[in-house]
Amino acid sequence: MAGVSTKAIKARMRSMESTRQITKAMELVAASKLRGAQMRALNNRTYFGTLFEVMDMISRSSIDFRSPFLTPGKGARPLYIVIAGDRGMAGGYNNNIFRFVMATLTEDALIFPLGKKTAEYFRRSKWECVSDSIPVADLTVGSCFSIARMICDWFLEGRFSSVTIAYTELVSLLTQTPKQTGLLPLTFEAAEPEGRHRTQFLYEGGDVHVFENIVPEYMAGVIYCAVKEAFASEQAARRTAMDAASKNADEMISKLNLDYNRARQAAITQEITEIVAGSEK
Amino acid sequence: MNSFRLKIVSPDGCLFEGDAELLTLRTTQGEVTILANHTEYLASIGMGRATVVTEAGRRTAACIGGMLMAAGNRVDVVATTFEWKEDLDADRAMAALKEAEEQLAAGGLDETRRKIVESKKRRAEVRLSVVRAE
Repeated sequence: MAGVSTKAIKARMRSMESTRQITKAMELVAASKLRGAQMRALNNRTYFGTLFEVMDMISRSSIDFRSPFLTPGKGARPLYIVIAGDRGMAGGYNNNIFRFVMATLTEDALIFPLGKKTAEYFRRSKWECVSDSIPVADLTVGSCFSIARMICDWFLEGRFSSVTIAYTELVSLLTQTPKQTGLLPLTFEAAEPEGRHRTQFLYEGGDVHVFENIVPEYMAGVIYCAVKEAFASEQAARRTAMDAASKNADEMISKLNLDYNRARQAAITQEITEIVAGSEK
Repeated sequence: MNSFRLKIVSPDGCLFEGDAELLTLRTTQGEVTILANHTEYLASIGMGRATVVTEAGRRTAACIGGMLMAAGNRVDVVATTFEWKEDLDADRAMAALKEAEEQLAAGGLDETRRKIVESKKRRAEVRLSVVRAE
């Protein structure tokens, strides 16, 4: 009986070791991807910060023109752009963002999925998606601009009432929080008290022309930054999860090792007992 | 010469921050030049060559898409693509141009795909024109 047991333990140890090898490899891959992704996310924040400042200045200037981007869309349904990962094995990364979005999602919402897992999840739970799944890893600046332009065109056609984006923000390497922001219609803070001087911008080629060119640019900037944040968050989440998995595997292996030695010792003791018992006769 | 505070950012990060004397770039309405103490001004950027003149000298770059804002002797350029001439790779731009031309010549692309390839071609052309200029 003891012989079978040592063999069984040995087999479990071997399988545990190969699992550990996989989790360790995934951790290392995530860590190396994370370095680049984190840098890109940080570079993006500079860009986004300035972009936001410009939009803020515009919003505080006197806007005496009408633009369809400033009023709710003619459509009846809200659109949610949801960004999650292409793959699992990243701890709670994908589920956290889905749960977060589900909390605010209305029955008639449309989904624009970014990331294979997002498309899978929302298809399975029967939400209507407006596009096929787009892998997050291959999203370039250019494709974000095409997506933004497409969404703006759809918004102008009256397909949606509003556009919201949901992604995971990289707070630190150990913390990532899901976040969502409204994109369209652009909501500017309430007008400042009357009488205060408001900047009057000179628009090259007419205010509406400039404004309607700027909005898709702004959208694209936000989408691109969100994608980069989300990608960095995914790598950070995967690294943490795989690190924990490797540690668990280590713990399990050392416990199994102990069990194995104990079983082996038991087998030896039993054998000796048997031999001694035999010679006494 | 009078100078103004210039900041140029793109998704690749901050490409310039400091005092400049002159900035020329192509908006969707045509070429404009900004000098110090410009009035409050807003424009959307087209595709073309940008020139920045500072005390240290003159630099050119390929500048594509985005927006330009001037307010209170400060100018912010938020560009989609902004690459200094010295960072541009002529061979790569040439290869991109050739590839895009081949794809367009071969045909059989759907509407969205064609638009993407066409804008790729235009971007490559802008880059080449910047690299080849004196």
